[in-house]
Amino acid sequence: MKFYGATPPASKMMRPDNMPRTEPVTGNMQERMQSVRQNAGAWFSTVLTGAIAVWAFHGLQFNFSHLSTGIARQSSQLVHLFPLNRGDWFYDLALMRTLWDPLQATMQMAIVGTVVGALLAFPVSFAAARTGYFPRPISNLVKTLLNVARAVPTLVYALVAVSLVGLGSPAGASAIAFVTFISLGKLYAEGLESVAPGPIEAVRAAGGNSVQVFIFAMLPQVLPLYLSTMLYSLEYNIKDSFIVGIVGAGGLGFSLQNAINLYKWQDAGVIIFFLVVLVNLVDYISYRVRKSFS
Amino acid sequence: MTEVIAIENLTHSYQAKTPVLDGVTLSVARGEIVAVIGLSGAGKSTLLRCVNGLVKPTGGTCRVFDTDVAALSESGKRLLRRRIGMIFQEFNLVDRSSVLTNVLIGRLAYVPTLASCFHRFPAQDVALASACLAQVGLAGYEKRWARALSGGQKQRVAIARAMAQEAQLILADEATANLDARTKTKIMEIIQDVARQRQAAVLLSMHDIELARTYCTRIVGLRQGRITFDSPASEVSEADVDEVLRRNSAGEQDDET
Repeated sequence: MKFYGATPPASKMMRPDNMPRTEPVTGNMQERMQSVRQNAGAWFSTVLTGAIAVWAFHGLQFNFSHLSTGIARQSSQLVHLFPLNRGDWFYDLALMRTLWDPLQATMQMAIVGTVVGALLAFPVSFAAARTGYFPRPISNLVKTLLNVARAVPTLVYALVAVSLVGLGSPAGASAIAFVTFISLGKLYAEGLESVAPGPIEAVRAAGGNSVQVFIFAMLPQVLPLYLSTMLYSLEYNIKDSFIVGIVGAGGLGFSLQNAINLYKWQDAGVIIFFLVVLVNLVDYISYRVRKSFS
Repeated sequence: MTEVIAIENLTHSYQAKTPVLDGVTLSVARGEIVAVIGLSGAGKSTLLRCVNGLVKPTGGTCRVFDTDVAALSESGKRLLRRRIGMIFQEFNLVDRSSVLTNVLIGRLAYVPTLASCFHRFPAQDVALASACLAQVGLAGYEKRWARALSGGQKQRVAIARAMAQEAQLILADEATANLDARTKTKIMEIIQDVARQRQAAVLLSMHDIELARTYCTRIVGLRQGRITFDSPASEVSEADVDEVLRRNSAGEQDDET
């Protein structure tokens, strides 16, 4: 029986190559015990998964009795998001003028954050990768730091950045740069670790030094990955730069927050529409660019 | 004939207990094409890697070009390696680089590090790389991407890479194992040509005994880290071959080391 668990069956792993085989009878017996144990393990994990699912659904205590009134109320407000039956072009033009700057700021935050984050991540990924360029304890430490920092949500960094730099999009860009740096640092390190070893051996066998190993064997393998992950995080950062705006870091998010506070539902609708268009546009462009070099 | 490789009583073990190489004594002279045959896991790859210092043996000595490999410093090993061409089963080309760049990897140890980082190679190195490509029948392939080539073409690029090193010793680790029958003979012919032209020594690991008989001058049997026979290709008997390629313990098949 094949079991795709964490460890291969002990019978396959432990026996040294040149040792005589154990007697077939005991071997069979051992294998049977093995499969019984594995079956028990599989059952146990299935039951455990089920129990966790029950716990999660039960714990939330879904209560749908408010749903009917909630839908009615929400839909009456949602209607306000859409500019229906109106011809106030002067208002629309004024709105466009007020939203143009935040729209640009959102894009600028995402772009600056992505570029700065990627530039910072590049050297750090070296320290974090277990490739032999840095001693193992250092890479373990850097990786742990990255993992810890990654667990903190972007909003927290945005709040910190706002209090450090002040309200506005520079704070948002800093927060996004930091978050990008952390996630790309980890992803870049993983990219370096998953490089095919063959070309590295070939460069070493030809007498190349470790710098040449990196330039000729590793970089060509990781560069496409580096660029496509960077573009992917740009897509992500457009959404993030909207969210950090809500805590005062400028951009469309900040405008949306203001519009909601002032009950300007139509403004809010327009802002959300802008975001949808922007996110999809960036996704599409980035997808096309990524496809071109993968 | 001058000896290029002189291995004496070489032992190596990756883990404390099971030795991969167990007292191997072997010498290879200029102009010789020596095949080491044996099953997967017999220690062939490890033996080859001890010769160019990619693996540090745990015992015995390995002298190449009259220098003790194990005693060399890291930079000394690099200077030795640039005189030793190596060809691999998986070709080990950089797929996302051009064919020319892959061949120029053979020149890396001859150019300054900083210049090589910016892919600046002397004109004569580029010319040499092109000449090597032409010699393996791939003239005009310089700008192609390595990943776009067939298996046989990739291996020819790898041979050109070794030739660009102007190596006097070529190590080939199962160089034909991933190729179809016709390509195999083609690759062996190219290796034979190179060896003759440069009076280079060639040490190959392989498990195809017929191929070894046709193209090699000497055949060495390696079984569980020990040499079972070492004789001119024409004198190798069926019994010798059966002895070395017999599969009785399943463990030997499991891992390629």
